[in-house]
Formats: sequence, C-alpha cells, structure tokens
Amino acid sequence: MSTRAPGARVPGKTADQPPPETPTTGHRGGITLGPRDRLIGELHIDGDVRLGGTVQGEIHATGDVEVDDEAKVNASLAGGDINIRGSVSGPVTARKRLVVARSGSLTGDVRVARLVIQDGATFSGNVSMGPQPDAFTPAPEPSPASAAPEPVAAAQAPDIAAERQPTRTDGKAKGKPKR
Amino acid sequence: MDVQEAVAESTPAEAAQDKKDGLRRFTMGPNDSLEGKLTYDGHVHVDGHAEGELRVSGNIEVASGAKVKAFLEASNVTIKGDVEGTLNARDKLVLGKNAKMSGDVTVRRLQIEDGASLNGHVRMGDFEHQGSGG
Repeated sequence: MSTRAPGARVPGKTADQPPPETPTTGHRGGITLGPRDRLIGELHIDGDVRLGGTVQGEIHATGDVEVDDEAKVNASLAGGDINIRGSVSGPVTARKRLVVARSGSLTGDVRVARLVIQDGATFSGNVSMGPQPDAFTPAPEPSPASAAPEPVAAAQAPDIAAERQPTRTDGKAKGKPKR
Repeated sequence: MDVQEAVAESTPAEAAQDKKDGLRRFTMGPNDSLEGKLTYDGHVHVDGHAEGELRVSGNIEVASGAKVKAFLEASNVTIKGDVEGTLNARDKLVLGKNAKMSGDVTVRRLQIEDGASLNGHVRMGDFEHQGSGG
C-alpha cells in the first residue's frame, strides 16, 4: 500500500524528528518501474518508488522504496521504509526500516534505524544501526565518482578481537589465587 | 576459584537431557556467570553473564537480560539479550526483537526481528572449514 501515512507505524518517533522534506500527509508522488523497464542513472524522487525491472545507479526517495521479486537492482538505495523482495546489490540507507523478505537478496552495506530480515533471505554486508537522527542528510560528496561506503563496522572488528584476548588471560590469573 | 564455582553452581541443570533431540543441556540462570572458554557437546542456554568463548555442538540461546561478551560458535544461535563479539552459526542466527548484537557474524541463514539491533559485518554462505556440517 503506497498510500499509508509514512509515520503511521511509529507514532512516537515522528514527533521528535519532523522530516523537513517528506510530505507526510496529502499526495505523495510515486513511480513504478515494471519488470520490463530499465533505469540506468540517478533518480531523486519526492515520494515512493517501486522497482520491478533493472536498475543501475542511485535511487533517492523521500518516501518508501519497494523492490519487487523479479527486480535486479545494482544501485544505492535511500528511502524511508525500504522493502526488498528481489535482488539488490549496493549500499542501502533506510531512515526508518529496512525489510529483506524471504525472497529477497541484498549484498551491500546497510545504514538503518530498524532492520528486519526474514528467514530465507540472503544478506551480506556491514550493518550499522542505532541513533542516527539525520541519517538522510545526503552526504556531501566531493566528487560524484567517489561514492565510497564508510567503513563503520570494519573498525569494530579489531576492537573486539583485541578485547577478547586480555579477558581470557585475566580470568586465568584471577581464577587461581595463591594461598 | 570464584570463576569455577560459578560454573559448578549451574551443573545441576546440566544433567537434564533434552527430550527432543537427546542432546545435553547446559543452563545458566540469571545469577550465574561464566568467564573463560567453554566447549560443550550439547545445547547451551545463557542467562546472566558470560565472557570468553563458547563453542557448542548444538544450539546457543542467549536469554533476554543476559549479557555476553564472547566468541560464539554453534549450530543455531538465538539471541534475545546483549551480545558483543564474533559469532559463527553453522545453521541459523535469530535476533529476537529486544536483541542487541554487535560484532561480525557468519551464518548460513539469518532472521532478524523488528526491534533488534545489529552492528557489524554479516557474511552469509557455507562454512569452508566445516566441510559437510549440515
């Protein structure tokens, strides 16, 4: 349903972060790309997008993004609620919620407020979640060619490995007090 | 010897054999704590606090309210509490709606319920080192 109000599911959240450019009520523009349509390039849309065909490039929507079962998306996606039932390869930013349905497959780094992955879905990539009040501030790109995903969680891995090491030796030393 | 005592306290529950699949069950209560390395042939249910390394032939379940800071390896892993560390699930990882997971994850299947929080890298696919595990 593309006509539902975007804040309907999270009434508590909409109050403290009024989205400046999202028309929460009234008409929302929206486009649908069918299974035989193809888009290569960059799309900024004030409203919802439904992708059914082949897409390459970038999709920025103020509304929701829906990727149908048969869709082949090789693009970065940004939107409010993002629902993936087809195949997506590229970074995904969801201001509200990302759902990868059981038929969906996603390869790419993900920045989301909420994440749902249904059993059967395929997903590989970095996940970064948590308080990000303005995740949608379109990152100031120095040049359009250098759209590199930020290595957020990549920096976490060494931390955890390093933390584990001293913990174990600690336990050993503490566990056998000399009498 | 406080660490080993904590483990010993939870052994009575361990005796229970799981009726469903015949695997043993290592159960920690909310006041138990485990620090170190556990390799266990059976299922492990973690409540309370665990830190170190858990390698389990069966499943690991992290209860809601539990805090785990460890390397986890098991067939199926179900998380309802807080987990920090690297996780390998030979079969499936489920993050319940109040789960908080931070760390890198390698799984065969993944299910994340709405409300769960995950920070880290997710890798999906078969385990090379495991051979024909499943």
